[in-house]
Amino acid sequence: MARLKRELVIPNSQTHLAEADDFIESSLESIGLDKGVIADIAISATELINNAILHGNRGNATKKVLIRLLVDGDRVQVDIIDQGDGFDPFSVPSPLAPENLLKEVGRGIFISKSLVDSLEFGREPGWGTRATLIKSVAGSIESQ
Amino acid sequence: MKLASREAQGVVVLEPKGKIMGGPDATAMHELLHDLVAHDKKRVVIDLSGVDWMNSTGLGILISGLTTMRNAGGDLKLANVTEKIESLLTITKLVTVFETFDTTQSALDSFPRS
Repeated sequence: MARLKRELVIPNSQTHLAEADDFIESSLESIGLDKGVIADIAISATELINNAILHGNRGNATKKVLIRLLVDGDRVQVDIIDQGDGFDPFSVPSPLAPENLLKEVGRGIFISKSLVDSLEFGREPGWGTRATLIKSVAGSIESQ
Repeated sequence: MKLASREAQGVVVLEPKGKIMGGPDATAMHELLHDLVAHDKKRVVIDLSGVDWMNSTGLGILISGLTTMRNAGGDLKLANVTEKIESLLTITKLVTVFETFDTTQSALDSFPRS
């Protein structure tokens, strides 16, 4: 049985980003996960939520974002699901290229991927694009 | 995120607290940095000691502030960069772009006296 399984639906607005972060961080705190690891997951997830709001749902205020959190054994999985028609999350040029270093945007997916073990995109039936981040937290839970 | 500001040695010191992740608070910080230049305040230190973490939105605000200040003939420097933010600056190579200091005072002292 999963150690933790929760979900939250937020309106498609960045004003609800803090609510989504609180949901993720407080859920992971409740199982005694190390704060540094929680921050990595929260940073990665908020990048994907911003992406879902701005690019997946294209800022459409009538749409929603579903955040699904699953902790199973030593593995944390967060699904961020929009109601958009799909987009290419890897079409952004490398933020590490010298010509892009001073650009204000274009680092979200790169940072999100850097902080977790895997980041994959797919389609969620009845919704839209699903971004799934997975991070192994072996040895990072207090009760272990 | 909460944002306090003060002036010392002719430099504006911004002291954000909490998380910089996007949304209205982040927009306010972005706008404040641009307002400073409009009021001829173009030497800024951002004290990051109270920032738990930031994501790419926060980094974008820092870059925007940096380029705005430098284009106006000033500069933006970072002080008290936490381990988590230092790590982000490293993986994004922005560590090569920003001047960082261990204390706010050393950041203030790095500006030439006006």
